[in-house]
Amino acid sequence: MATTTPTLTPTFATGATAKPGDVVRVDPRRERPGDQVAPGLAEVGLNHGFVGDVLSAMLTHERCGRHLYRSVATRTNNPVLRRKYEEFGGETERHATILEDLVTQLGGDPQYVSPAARAVEGNDSRLLEATYLLAGSVDVMTQEMVMLDAVLLAESMDHANWTTLAQLTESLPEGPVRASFAAAVGDVLGEEEDHLSWARDTKARLTVMQASSKAMATTATKVEEMVDTVRGWLST
Amino acid sequence: MGLNPLEHKGIPVEDQVRSWSDLNPQPYDKHAVDPYTRTRVILMNGIEVESILFSHQFARHTDDVDLKQKLALSRRIEAQQQKVVNGLNPGDQTPLETTIGYEQVAVDLTAWLARHEPNPYLHQALDFALLEDFDHLYRYANLYELLDGGNATELTEHLTEITPGRPTIVEHRHPSDDVRGHFETHTVDPLSRLHVMTIVAAEQQTMNFYMNHGTDWIEPIARGLYAEIALIEEQHVTHYESLLDPLDSWMKMLVFHELDEIYLYWSMLQQEQDSRIRSIWEEHLDMEIGQLHVACDLLRRYEGVEPEEIVPAELPDTPVTFEPNKDYVRSVLAEQIQLQADGLEFVPVDDLPKSHRYFAYQAKVNAGGAPSEQVIDANRDKSGREFRDETEGEHPVVDLRDPVSARR
Ligand SMILES: [Fe+2]
Ligand SMILES: [Fe+2]
Ligand SMILES: [Fe+2]
Ligand SMILES: [Fe+2]
Ligand SMILES: [Fe+2]
Ligand SMILES: [Fe+2]
Repeated sequence: MATTTPTLTPTFATGATAKPGDVVRVDPRRERPGDQVAPGLAEVGLNHGFVGDVLSAMLTHERCGRHLYRSVATRTNNPVLRRKYEEFGGETERHATILEDLVTQLGGDPQYVSPAARAVEGNDSRLLEATYLLAGSVDVMTQEMVMLDAVLLAESMDHANWTTLAQLTESLPEGPVRASFAAAVGDVLGEEEDHLSWARDTKARLTVMQASSKAMATTATKVEEMVDTVRGWLST
Repeated sequence: MGLNPLEHKGIPVEDQVRSWSDLNPQPYDKHAVDPYTRTRVILMNGIEVESILFSHQFARHTDDVDLKQKLALSRRIEAQQQKVVNGLNPGDQTPLETTIGYEQVAVDLTAWLARHEPNPYLHQALDFALLEDFDHLYRYANLYELLDGGNATELTEHLTEITPGRPTIVEHRHPSDDVRGHFETHTVDPLSRLHVMTIVAAEQQTMNFYMNHGTDWIEPIARGLYAEIALIEEQHVTHYESLLDPLDSWMKMLVFHELDEIYLYWSMLQQEQDSRIRSIWEEHLDMEIGQLHVACDLLRRYEGVEPEEIVPAELPDTPVTFEPNKDYVRSVLAEQIQLQADGLEFVPVDDLPKSHRYFAYQAKVNAGGAPSEQVIDANRDKSGREFRDETEGEHPVVDLRDPVSARR
């Protein structure tokens, strides 16, 4: 069981490393060539450079997920949603630690940010940005759904990442590498199932509830009234 | 120990609004001013302009009213700061004299950044454009003598040599060859990030200044020279802005902008001997720290990122310093004068095949000759020699030695 605090934003100060490319000119002190990403995976016959890059991308998704949960927990007007966001945010942080530990066990570097991880961060940070840059376009109730949608999208990817890891684990020969993967998957996959099903069910529930309620966001509706409405959601 | 900006409170942004009289400072005396005070004023004006333009761009990408209002407040303050800094330039300093100051900034800022830049690719990018701005100083110094009978060393005070660099006429590259690779935002040394942000702002301001002042003259040679060099500055902005990692979100970029302003005001006040101007740098430093806190609060609230995750615990303890870089510039001249660009890479011009787009572009823009060459010919005709200030001996590149002094 992971207990340490993970790095949420790898930086020069935390010891971040990256793979140099034509366009991405990594400081040579921080270069990590492809064959050093997760060398421990070579012994089980995997394409260790590829899998190391994928693990970095999955780790990045958990890190970005932690930021997303902090952000929506701060901004939601609904106490039930806030508690869930805080709870899942804490679990997401734990998943980041578990992946950091897994990467370390494989001889890799949890501070390594792969090209795939950069792409994931690009997706995830734009997903988070989209929940606030256009907040002026939507009313208070719609804003709650925008944030919930972002959580649903993030958890869909998160769930897919861990089911992918579960399948990868199945393909591994018995031994310490497989045991490391299996322990991580066993620890996390159940929570990912909770996260995804909660987000999907809550979206449906709030949509159906609003569809049958009288509260409607018109230009005459006061913000305080809408906040009150949102605050009452899911209270029973 | 470098500054830890998060440990300081600074001035709260709401308390930073100044009156018209505060915004109209007494300019420096152009005859008495330290040339490097002039360059500090030029640099910090460019830094403020970038902070304003960046904030406007950010604001155009959101309709969140709270966020837009917070940006508007900080941006209004940045705009006031810009007035105070730029207001230090005196009205009797002509645009051409200011221009010579701009190129002195470009030379001694770029050289200093290059000398301290740990990432070899960024270092190479700085060296590359250094030689081009160094040449601009020489071209403008000749224009100054030609038009005004002026002596540019009265502005530079021999702190920066004036002699050809990579000749402006050969700097005109196909646009595709001004695009560069970039640093990686997670792994980048905080010093490198600050270096790149600083040089982007400085070159952008130079581009803008030439865009606006190129038509201040009646003489076609002056108008032509400004047009030609303004286009090189556009190349330089293209070149330097490519070095930034586009992965960072708008909010993170906002935080990094405030950090760069903090680092630079802190740097400027380390060297400033003029106590009145020093107190402006000090005040602006405290203002920037206040602005940083606003940016950090936005980062925390909207992106769930704790500022400590991306703000270094300590800014670099070496201040950006204006000082002579003569030996450094000479060594880069000697080693890199022949460099050109091929896509993202720097290569000797002789390595480019005859069919390279560089030559086609050169043939097009230089078809009728180049003002940067004409200005030297015209000044030779008028003054009997071209204008140079080679304090450290003859030019390190044989082909660029003065034909007149070489005959002596
Ligand atoms: Fe997760
Ligand atoms: Fe999850
Ligand atoms: Fe500022
Ligand atoms: Fe220049
Ligand atoms: Fe330039
Ligand atoms: Fe600022």
